[in-house]
Amino acid sequence: MPELTYREAVRDALSRAMREDDDVFVMGEDIAEMGGSMGVTQGMLDEFGPERVRNTPISEMALAGAAIGAAIQGMRPVAEIMYEDFLTLATEQIVNQAAKHRYMSGGQVTVPVTFRTQGGAGWSPGAQHAQQLEAWFVHIPGLKVVFASTPSDVRGLLWSAIYDDNPVVFFEHRTLYGLKEEVPDELEPIPLGKARVHREGEDVTVIATGRLVHEALEAAQQAEEQGVSVEVVDPRTLQPLDEDALIASVKKTNRCVVAHEAVTRMGFGAEVASVVQYGAFDWLDAPIERVGAKFTPLPFAPVMEEWCVPHAGDVLEAIQRTVGRNADGN
Amino acid sequence: MAKVEQRGTLSPEELRDFFREMLLIRRFEEKVEERFRAGELPGFLHVAIGQEAVAVGVIRALEDGDVIASTHRAHGHTLAKGTGPNELMAELYGKLEGCSHGYGGSMHLYDVERGNLGANAVVGGGLPQITGAALAFKMRGEPRVAVAFFGDGATNIGTFHEALNLAQLWRVPALFVLEDNKWAESTPERQHSPISDLSKRADAFGMTAIKVDGQDVEAVYKATKKALEHARSGKGPVFLHVDTYRLVGHYIGDPQVYRTKEEQKEVREHHDPLTQLRGKLELSEDDFDELDAEIVEIVEAAVEFAKNGTDPKPEDALKNVYA
Amino acid sequence: MATEIKLPRLGQGMEAGTIVKWLKSEGDAVEKGEPLYELDTDKVTQEVEADASGVLLRIAIQEGEVEVGKTIAVIGEQGEDVPAESGEADSANGSESGVSDEPSEEGSRAPARDDERERGRNASAQADVPELSQLDTAAGRVKASPLARRIARERGLDLSQVAGTGPEGRVVAEDVERAAASGGPAPAAEQALSLPTEGVEVEQLSSMRKTIARRLTEAWQAPVFQLGVTVDMGRAQALRARLVELHGDGTKPTINDLLTKVCAAALMRHRAVNALYKGDAIELHPTANVGIAVAIPNGLVVPVIASCERRSVAEIAAARAAVVERARSGKLEQADLEGGTFTISNLGMFGIERFVAVLNPPQAAILAVGSIEDKVVAVDGQPAVRPRMELTLTCDHRAIDGATGAAFLADVKAFLEEPGLAL
Repeated sequence: MPELTYREAVRDALSRAMREDDDVFVMGEDIAEMGGSMGVTQGMLDEFGPERVRNTPISEMALAGAAIGAAIQGMRPVAEIMYEDFLTLATEQIVNQAAKHRYMSGGQVTVPVTFRTQGGAGWSPGAQHAQQLEAWFVHIPGLKVVFASTPSDVRGLLWSAIYDDNPVVFFEHRTLYGLKEEVPDELEPIPLGKARVHREGEDVTVIATGRLVHEALEAAQQAEEQGVSVEVVDPRTLQPLDEDALIASVKKTNRCVVAHEAVTRMGFGAEVASVVQYGAFDWLDAPIERVGAKFTPLPFAPVMEEWCVPHAGDVLEAIQRTVGRNADGN
Repeated sequence: MAKVEQRGTLSPEELRDFFREMLLIRRFEEKVEERFRAGELPGFLHVAIGQEAVAVGVIRALEDGDVIASTHRAHGHTLAKGTGPNELMAELYGKLEGCSHGYGGSMHLYDVERGNLGANAVVGGGLPQITGAALAFKMRGEPRVAVAFFGDGATNIGTFHEALNLAQLWRVPALFVLEDNKWAESTPERQHSPISDLSKRADAFGMTAIKVDGQDVEAVYKATKKALEHARSGKGPVFLHVDTYRLVGHYIGDPQVYRTKEEQKEVREHHDPLTQLRGKLELSEDDFDELDAEIVEIVEAAVEFAKNGTDPKPEDALKNVYA
Repeated sequence: MATEIKLPRLGQGMEAGTIVKWLKSEGDAVEKGEPLYELDTDKVTQEVEADASGVLLRIAIQEGEVEVGKTIAVIGEQGEDVPAESGEADSANGSESGVSDEPSEEGSRAPARDDERERGRNASAQADVPELSQLDTAAGRVKASPLARRIARERGLDLSQVAGTGPEGRVVAEDVERAAASGGPAPAAEQALSLPTEGVEVEQLSSMRKTIARRLTEAWQAPVFQLGVTVDMGRAQALRARLVELHGDGTKPTINDLLTKVCAAALMRHRAVNALYKGDAIELHPTANVGIAVAIPNGLVVPVIASCERRSVAEIAAARAAVVERARSGKLEQADLEGGTFTISNLGMFGIERFVAVLNPPQAAILAVGSIEDKVVAVDGQPAVRPRMELTLTCDHRAIDGATGAAFLADVKAFLEEPGLAL
């Protein structure tokens, strides 16, 4: 089995789809010669040429809209939005257009477009290059939203996103691009809407996305040493959400921590907490804990930035709170 | 759809057919105003009275396979692109038989089978997608053109500039039709644009621009044919600046406090494309009345069809969210 | 064909307008779009245009306030018959013949479609009912709301023994309360019984009744046993009569006061009965603080007379009279109710011969006192009529064993029958 980085896994999914299917092409800012700001599309220009590895002007509205227009004509474009902060510039096209054409037309229009984007803190770009904005898009009926956390997941999920007949906003995490994992020779598509249980446990379920999946796994290891058995579940697809898997896990462990890098308040985790409390109400032995960034724009100074975003330690504390609360009987 | 071999030549029969189409749009819009005032039509409606020659002139010049994206003022474009008055009226009544099956309404009229990719309620919203549709045609080597309609107000929004820039950069077969009716809702052109000749907007992108009198359907038709030839031949998109007039308010019920009664009267008297074409065709009173009676009957039948249409079930609202 | 001109709806919420004046007279030619009359609404005064051409055949309403949709004029051809009296306003088409351009805001709600809106609203309310069938049952786990769990923990109830009546059989707070009150699980089907409710007076529980309910419910949880004796009250009655003679200006002693004194003496000899059961400990008290159950309107209180072993019967009578008076006049202080180690409940004055009292926790015992009745009994092998009184002692078995209770009760009987023994 080859070992791929998360970055190579994204590229592998794109390249395989483009080899098999002329309707698939990629477009975005600086993706051709430069190979993308994160190096994801490096080498693809040579293989596929400038028509299908299409550099765009710095023009998010138009590139998103053009991808939507081409998709409606039956193409399967993958548009790269360099930083998810810049999704703001394309939001009208994604939210008002891509998400709603099918509905407004009474089912006549299909929009098989994928918007790839990335973000994440830990490198001090300041407040406009590292936000986690997935919560904005899971709130929009008509969009699907994916957030992959490992090389094998990102490859299989991206493939499914490309071949999904709905617009998909596909989040990658900047700090994961170098992460390596052995993956099968054959690309196995991972269906959208299926969660992954990374680690089984008995006492607490941590539902985590993106970078926090890895932080949660580390916290779980530490908790294990303290005698607390932690299950780590990554929904992978945030919309549609694999509610059954999340609820089943919490029914088993009776305690739940939700963790993401995005700001906690009004975040994706709030919805997960709601889903879990409703679906596993009679199984909960402790209030659901949430882990996320503090309610502030991302600061520049490294000491402040690291303080704002959550790490394994924050997840571990949340795990302990859920267990401690129950032990006290309070 | 009228097929014309040579651009620039329209037989009297064809022109009479254009007149018939324009009259249908006019009578349809008048009926929509009436039914809205009677409290039967929900929502936010914008009629295209005064702009009939643009819809008919441009769309009759298209070939099968060409696609359009329209605006919030979409009834005329939709009828001209071949959607039946029944299906259009049924949509305005929110019925399943409507062209968007009751999910869209006046501002979201679609008829994909006939190449209507949808009206758009966000000013300028459809422009980037027309660039994208044209890109798809180009990448596949299909001899099709994608046409965007938009008003003078839209030339100030980012999507306009980004979409035209990208279209010209990539030389895609697109036609950008500026329906310059001089008003961005209630704001006159002098208040919303720093330049008086909006066709100069195209210069910024090095895009070919054609300017035409939008109240003269034959002129619009000819200009569109020329523009389409350019786009279809791979030379890139064309900016078609159509000078037209909105004879009515921005929306049904608009008191038009922003323009005088005299001005409203003046445009109605001097810039009505139907009056102009009727004169050109030298239609007799009897001929006109006969045609008008036929059209009125079609429109009345459309109202009947719509009223007798099927109401969606409340829970149908959950359909069509995802493919 | 004549066209009826109806008062148009010129904006959302407009119900009527006032015709100020007509700009045309009957018989005048009218062009569609020409100003026809002036209308005053709550927003503006404006000219309303005709939307039919012809001759103004009739002005139905010259001026004044008119409802939207009402016919105000008729336009038609010269000489055409005018409908005698136009019909009532048709709200759906009310404004169709009036053309005006003065709505207050963009767009419209389409009043004619209000019934559809209503239908959608109603359907929406139905759709909001959660689909409980999608929830599976909590196998092997008691389904209970967090509130129910907390109450159960506080009351020491086993949730698995409580039938839930909430969604999906969930135990909710009410179920725990009911189980606690009835001393057992709530019958889940109880609510299915529908009894006539006419004439039933419903009184919300006062805080006192709630306290009674809570305390007695707690009491019901205790494993209790009862012991009964019948006492010959001949000497006690004689003693009481003598004490009444001697009481002077003080309160007249009652049999109950004498009983209080006797019980205090017995409690001092059987300290295990003068006890409080405190869960993980039993407190044996050095003084006999005897509570007297007193009926008051809508309730029951148990004021306490402290250190009865040190008081004379006369002193007990005085103290009893004072607290009873305070109880009946609602002036009891917290101190009057605290510190009890034993309770006497006497229903003899109602002719009750015997009853079983419910424990007054944390006290370990309570004595139920019946009426004194003349009974034929065997005295020295011969039938004789004697004044007899039944006593029933309820004991908390967690604090008191049968023999302990029996020894105590035997002494009470002995002291009443031979008061000198209490000295």
